[in-house]
Amino acid sequence: MINITHLSYGVGDFQIHDLSLKIADGEYFVILGKPGSGKSIFLECLCGLNRVSDGTIEIAGVDVTYAEPKDRSIGYVPQDYALFPTKSVRSNITFGLRVKSMPADEIESRLDSITEFLNIKHLLARSVYGLSGGERQKVALARALIIQPKILLLDEPVSALDEATRESVCMELKHIQQETGTTTVHVSHNFEETRIVADRVGVLRSGSLVQIGTPDEVFDHPADADVASFLRVGNILKGYAEAEGEKIRIAVGNTIWVANGANPESSREVEFVLPSRDIFVSLDSPDTNSENVLTGNIVSVLPRGPVVRIAVEVEPGLIIDALAPPAFSRISSGTEVYLSFPASAIHILDAIK
Amino acid sequence: MIQRSRKMPVRGFKSHLFSIWVMFALFLFVGFAVLLIILDIAYVDREAFHEALSSPEIWASAKLSVISSVTTVVICMFFAIPMGYALSRYRFPAHTLVDSIVDIPIIFPPLIIGLSLLIFFQTGFGNWLEKHGIEFVYQPAGIVLCQFLTAASFGIRTVNTAFDRIDPRLEHVALTLGCTQWGAFFRIALPMARNGIVAGAILTWARAFGIFGPLMVFVGAVRMRTEVLPTTIYLEQSIGHIEVALAVAVMMIAIAIAALVSIRLLGLRYES
Repeated sequence: MINITHLSYGVGDFQIHDLSLKIADGEYFVILGKPGSGKSIFLECLCGLNRVSDGTIEIAGVDVTYAEPKDRSIGYVPQDYALFPTKSVRSNITFGLRVKSMPADEIESRLDSITEFLNIKHLLARSVYGLSGGERQKVALARALIIQPKILLLDEPVSALDEATRESVCMELKHIQQETGTTTVHVSHNFEETRIVADRVGVLRSGSLVQIGTPDEVFDHPADADVASFLRVGNILKGYAEAEGEKIRIAVGNTIWVANGANPESSREVEFVLPSRDIFVSLDSPDTNSENVLTGNIVSVLPRGPVVRIAVEVEPGLIIDALAPPAFSRISSGTEVYLSFPASAIHILDAIK
Repeated sequence: MIQRSRKMPVRGFKSHLFSIWVMFALFLFVGFAVLLIILDIAYVDREAFHEALSSPEIWASAKLSVISSVTTVVICMFFAIPMGYALSRYRFPAHTLVDSIVDIPIIFPPLIIGLSLLIFFQTGFGNWLEKHGIEFVYQPAGIVLCQFLTAASFGIRTVNTAFDRIDPRLEHVALTLGCTQWGAFFRIALPMARNGIVAGAILTWARAFGIFGPLMVFVGAVRMRTEVLPTTIYLEQSIGHIEVALAVAVMMIAIAIAALVSIRLLGLRYES
């Protein structure tokens, strides 16, 4: 288990301030944040590459706050894998074992099992030059895993890969983690990647963890407008909320939307999220008596893989983003469409002060 | 290591003009240098070569030149490797100032270094050193000291550039894999900086081998004692032995070419 309490570290104007986090044994934890949010710096603090100014770091019950990197039982894979260019693939992978003067037969046996597990045995005699991105990543993983670390730290491990291979490599990373049972901390700014691999996610903003939860919790219920905007979960809107029994009625422009949730203490202006994927788009009018039905004209159509992202102007100045089926890629701008969504789709962030 | 591509793209007329321009500059310079060497060789007759090769003073001078310059390279690299690494990896107050001071001997006229050393050995600390048997002024050891101060900056700067080009994350990974700071340096950074270190050694040696001004000021040109090949050339031409001076110059060129080629072959072999 990793137990981080009140961690602080500063470099230049940047500060990680009072960061506390517990990661369970065998958990796959993703630190998600924008570039510049301090993800890599945080990971380097865990590695012992940055000397923290305050707080403690415990790994498997041992306080390693001021321990050297070699004494932390960590495997570290930096962003571009940092393979040693003057060494062969074999020498790269066995480097950590040779440093520890491990007997040759033990080195060979561990090399055998890790290369078989990662399916890179055929690469052993090769130089690291000319390896593909995926091969480089596997060699870096093998080099980190062969020392049998208690925790594996991955710094944007798939960012150097092309989009087509990223998803399959993420699935493989998850598989490797599940097979080895190694507690893994993975930093990323990519949402799809996070959804595939993470058991839990921590959203890092300017050196502070602003939200921790399962991927569903974080993506469905972002902690605030900033997190919602960063996660691009959909529409972040403002309205005037008023309690009505078990529901909340929100006046947005000239329409009234209905949301579930705790009754507001009094009428107030609120900021809320309406996820694009929770909006049903149709060309035909749904049951007009149901709540949360809007009509508008398509402003833009953007095919995005298996779905189409469309922007619909429901009234002047109010544009709603929605995800529509692939057939909508053939619909032209200006077409009138119907948007509908359940009350449960609306997630009220906070009252606007 | 950087893999240089030898592929040539399809080129139009303007690109050909570009190639002609860059190759013209290259061959003009090299051609002029080769022409000067050929003229030197042509100017020297067999007798002058014979005289130079049979002179015990000139042999002693050649021997001292090689020994002092090689010693200087070893000492320079002993300092240049840690200094180049420190400048590359550590940030400390006045880093920029220290970084600039390292380059001062490159822009200083070499003669000033000889004068500065003379002044230093007139001061209390310099006198104290001399009194305790650490003598440099007009001593063979002074040759190495002069060469060191004149040439070290070339080595430090080249090695520093080599370390700058190595991603520190490679050493970070080595630290997490069980290395100490020493281990990460000797197992990762040093082998990767090898080409830079070899280049630094070549530059340092070339500079040390050829200096003349500071030696005349600080150690003089005492035959069989503090005379090195550049001072031999000066002494021979000052008494009118132009052919012998040129014969010595040709000897220097031959030694320099042999040394540079062998160091390159030795040092850069692993790159292929």
